[in-house]
Amino acid sequence: MSEPISKLQAALAAGQFVVTGEVGPPKGTNVGPVLHEAEEYLKNSVTAVNVTDIQTAVMRAGSMAFSHMLVDRDIEPVYQMVCRDRNRLALQSDLLSAYTLGIRNVLALTGDHTTMGDHKEAKGVYDLDSVGLLQAMSILESGQDMGLDMKGNPNKLDGAPRFFKGCCVTPCTDEIEPQIIKLEKKVEAGAQFVQTQAVYDPAAFEKFMSGIAHLKVPVLVGIVMLKHAGMAKYMNNFVPGVVVPDWIIKKLSEAAKEDRQKVSIDICGQLIREMKHCCQGAHLMTLGWDMCMPSIVQAAGLA
Amino acid sequence: MIVAERKPFDEIMEMVASCKRVLVLGCGGCVTVCLTGGERQAEMLASQLRLAAGAKGLAMEVDFDSITRQCDKEFFANLKKDLASYDAVVSIACGVGVQYMGEQFASARILPGMNTQHLAANTAPGVWTEYCHGCGECVLAWTGGICPIARCSKSLVNGACGGTNHGKCEVKAEMDCGWLLIYKKLQETGRLDELRKLRPPRNWRKDRSDGVRRLVLKDMVEEETKS
Amino acid sequence: MSKTDLTSDALAGLAGTSELLERQWAPCRYNCPVHADVRAYVELIAQGRWREAIDVIRDALPFAAVCGRICHHPCESNCRRTDIDSPVAIREVKRFVAELQGARGASVRKPARQDKAKVAVIGAGPAGMSAALDLARLGYRPTVFEKFPVGGGIPATAIPKYRLPRDVIQMDVDWICAHGVELVTGVEIGKDKTVDDLLNKAGFAAVIVAAGLSRSRSLPLPGGDHPRVMGVLDFLTALAFDKPVEIGRDVVVIGGGNVAIDAARSAVRLGAARVRAVCLEDEQEMPAWQWEQDEAREEGVAFIHRRGPVEVVRRGDQVAGLKTRKVTRVFDEQRRFSPQYDDSDTGVLECDTIILAIGQMADTGFVAGSALKLDSRGRLEYNPATHQTSVPNVFACGEIVTAPGSAVEACANGQRAAKAVDAFLSGREIRIDDALPPSIGKIDPDSPCFQAVKRAQRTAVAVEPAGKRSRDFAAVDHNLTIEQALTEARRCMSCGSGAEVLVDKCAACLTCLRVCPFGVPKVIDVARIDSDLCQACGMCVADCPANAIIAKGWQPGSLIERTKKELAALKGRKVVAYVCGHYAPATAWSAQGEDAIPGVAEIYLPSMCRLSTAEMLHALEAGAQGVIVVAAEIGADRYPGATERIRKRVQQGRDLLQEIGLDAGRLVLVEEASKGREAVRAAIAAAADAIAPM
Repeated sequence: MSEPISKLQAALAAGQFVVTGEVGPPKGTNVGPVLHEAEEYLKNSVTAVNVTDIQTAVMRAGSMAFSHMLVDRDIEPVYQMVCRDRNRLALQSDLLSAYTLGIRNVLALTGDHTTMGDHKEAKGVYDLDSVGLLQAMSILESGQDMGLDMKGNPNKLDGAPRFFKGCCVTPCTDEIEPQIIKLEKKVEAGAQFVQTQAVYDPAAFEKFMSGIAHLKVPVLVGIVMLKHAGMAKYMNNFVPGVVVPDWIIKKLSEAAKEDRQKVSIDICGQLIREMKHCCQGAHLMTLGWDMCMPSIVQAAGLA
Repeated sequence: MIVAERKPFDEIMEMVASCKRVLVLGCGGCVTVCLTGGERQAEMLASQLRLAAGAKGLAMEVDFDSITRQCDKEFFANLKKDLASYDAVVSIACGVGVQYMGEQFASARILPGMNTQHLAANTAPGVWTEYCHGCGECVLAWTGGICPIARCSKSLVNGACGGTNHGKCEVKAEMDCGWLLIYKKLQETGRLDELRKLRPPRNWRKDRSDGVRRLVLKDMVEEETKS
Repeated sequence: MSKTDLTSDALAGLAGTSELLERQWAPCRYNCPVHADVRAYVELIAQGRWREAIDVIRDALPFAAVCGRICHHPCESNCRRTDIDSPVAIREVKRFVAELQGARGASVRKPARQDKAKVAVIGAGPAGMSAALDLARLGYRPTVFEKFPVGGGIPATAIPKYRLPRDVIQMDVDWICAHGVELVTGVEIGKDKTVDDLLNKAGFAAVIVAAGLSRSRSLPLPGGDHPRVMGVLDFLTALAFDKPVEIGRDVVVIGGGNVAIDAARSAVRLGAARVRAVCLEDEQEMPAWQWEQDEAREEGVAFIHRRGPVEVVRRGDQVAGLKTRKVTRVFDEQRRFSPQYDDSDTGVLECDTIILAIGQMADTGFVAGSALKLDSRGRLEYNPATHQTSVPNVFACGEIVTAPGSAVEACANGQRAAKAVDAFLSGREIRIDDALPPSIGKIDPDSPCFQAVKRAQRTAVAVEPAGKRSRDFAAVDHNLTIEQALTEARRCMSCGSGAEVLVDKCAACLTCLRVCPFGVPKVIDVARIDSDLCQACGMCVADCPANAIIAKGWQPGSLIERTKKELAALKGRKVVAYVCGHYAPATAWSAQGEDAIPGVAEIYLPSMCRLSTAEMLHALEAGAQGVIVVAAEIGADRYPGATERIRKRVQQGRDLLQEIGLDAGRLVLVEEASKGREAVRAAIAAAADAIAPM
């Protein structure tokens, strides 16, 4: 196996329990506050920071530019790419661009449907699906692209990129087998690490992990920070494949308003402690509460 | 079959507002079967136009007619009305009929009365559900006979996305997740291996990426139309 | 596509739905000897349109009133409702409307000119008068010669008054005469004038012999030559003309037919203490109608079966009894009349009066002084195909040349003879086309349709109690009341007037199959609607998106034409109410009756199934400021699911109005049709008041 091309790959290869964070670029050009948060709270607590790509189909600044700004600040980004908004020409082009900007970790996602966001009338593209996007990365890495020249042979690249290719899975959905099958295909297509959808049920997660043991791919369990009971309930009702158990909702609803952040940190810490033994890291989605990240790492006993 | 939905009345009224004579033209094909563009619907739209024109004080004469199919010119001979004598003809066929009539009757102004929707099966009385997208490259052989192009809202080819939710799609709570249907079918029939196969990105040239599509049957075409 | 498929082009070639109907007849019409359009007149009666109903009847049946009383009604016997519950009482509703309207209440449609040849008719019975009427309608000048002082034939001269009051016969005779038929009574041809006189001296271009069977068949019984042994026609005719008739107290009628029963029941009315009818046949073989037998029994007539008369037993110069012997068979293997007796088994029925009712025969006295020939058995020579006798311009019709039958059969034969005479006098070859359109079939009892037809029991006719009726010659039963007539007529299933698919327009969309309350349509290549099963509700006609289904029973577009007419007649407010007429009183059907609601045109339809959404819009286009749809309550409509469907149509109409910016409140549904006229009127008035002025 070749040398790791990113800190994230290196840490996982070294068998460290890895923590990643996540930021979303702003709706507008004012990137300062988010960059500040990343530098202040994430830079020293996590191995890499995911940058979302027009998350939930709500239009905002781009993932590549923001990832590049993190690179500039010595924070390692995980560049998220969704298939919703670009065809294979644009996706491949952006992958080449990202590589030239120093981006190495790429997370391939299908992308929430346009109707989930704030531009419901937009045309969804989905030229490639997430498996196809992983294949595209692998093809680019081989020095070719997905197209053909006039003679019908694969095009050759003048300089090939290398990526640490990631993908997503939903471990606690109602139908596990199709998720596992698709994950197998993603790994076959080149996925090297997995970040999961939010998990709050350690037992179910452990079961899922034993189901994908044969894939031998590092998995970072996803945890979305729950800020209050209402948010937990919302996730239960509206976020596919996410089940927040009653004990968490109870804990959040019993907490006094001023204690909520603390309780939320504790819950994250507890969840990581309970799932640490069966996975290779945690992906923490703090949704603006980036300042909590150091405390969570602490609470998880990882500091 | 093709299903089409009548355009909102206001939109139609706006198209013909300045006309003195209007013909509403039904089609006896698909749109009759889906109860939106038949002679009866032509009759009702004509009635609506007359009533609306009357209420607005417009002098508008509105007739209706219908032919077997607006997508075959041989049937145009059966028109009982002279299209050229109308200021506008509102065709309530699918978009094919509107254009084809327009091509054949260059002096008539053919306007669309319908929004053409999709290829459907009549899943319940009064309900037509999309089953085929007309993608040009059928994959049903390995998807348990359930089309991921038409019935997955993202037309994915390798399985469900993370938006699958208790068998439903993230787009609409009442909409089935096409890929979960495929999974269930393959599971029931012991053909899950079909799902495990990695499917390469689709060739969209067969869909719309290659421009206007044409079906040409060599044994039927006359020489001059072959090109 | 089968040969009988109808296309819109083929429809355009037909004049309209009436010609479409000719393609198949309902069994009532098919089996009616004069092929009266039974369904049409029953529906008109169902709507209280008496005048139109009697006109439809009289178009085909001149003796409408007579037949309303005495017809053997093959229409009813073949009524398809029989399998569902019981046949529609067609004769009773006909009687109701015929007598309600009388002779003057029916239209007299004479040709502009009646200047064709003079034709003489011998005999003013149903056959002769029917022939004369049809000739008058064709412009001929017919004169009917009748030996009796009244017209009407056997119905007037032999049928007892308790079955057929004389004023009822007169309605028919008067109406026929109003067409330019001259009736000369009291003239017997062969005696007062000869056929040759008519042809050579009186200027008649042709003669029709319709003399009927006016003589009783006699039986050479030993001892039978006695005043108290009488022929049935002598007996009945004397009664018909109120002549004194002497009978004893113990009467035996010989015969098992309807005339025998007339005689027996008349004897009861004359005060006989015991009346017995003795006949060769057993109960099943007896030719008299069952109901006649039943009523006779109720009045005390006893039946003695399987005995044949041998001789009249005399005691001195009195009749003392009838000696009879046992009948071992009446018919041979070929069902021919061929009685055999057991002479070892004889007996005497004590009696003092014997009436011989063993059949009637012709009085061929009219032959005298003419070239007319009789055959070896004394019957008039005649060609059934052309009605011509041995003299080319002398024709024959009715029972004198056919087998004995009923009045309506005689009418049919007379009409046929009129055609022959017309052809002859017009110089055409006499070729009468007797071909009929096929009758529709039975309702398959295993079909869902059979189960879904709403059951409705036949209206019972009020009959006087036997004790009362046997006292005199007053009519034994009563005419239906208006309500009864409406209720009974509304039981008609309108067989064969339902859906017809225009195959070239049908898109096989399955809508008919989905909306049919009876599960009748099948969609194979195109929609196929079996007319044997279709209940003519009109549901599919109103819902077909291709306008590819028409109803044979009503013209497309006729409703809106009527709506326009009714609206034009309104002053001020103009509102249309389409009302389910199944429960409507007769008066309601006339839109501007005395209880009309100001500014509201009420238009009654047999069912709201027929009313399409498009028609609701068309009414508004025609200038109505509102449309009120009055349906029966859920479950109360004669067609299952009708109200549920009409709700959806009204909602669709309201949506279409809203879409064009008109007030949806202009289209209102009221579900109260079965609550009676007052409630319906109030509901319509309230709904009309709630509709905003334009």
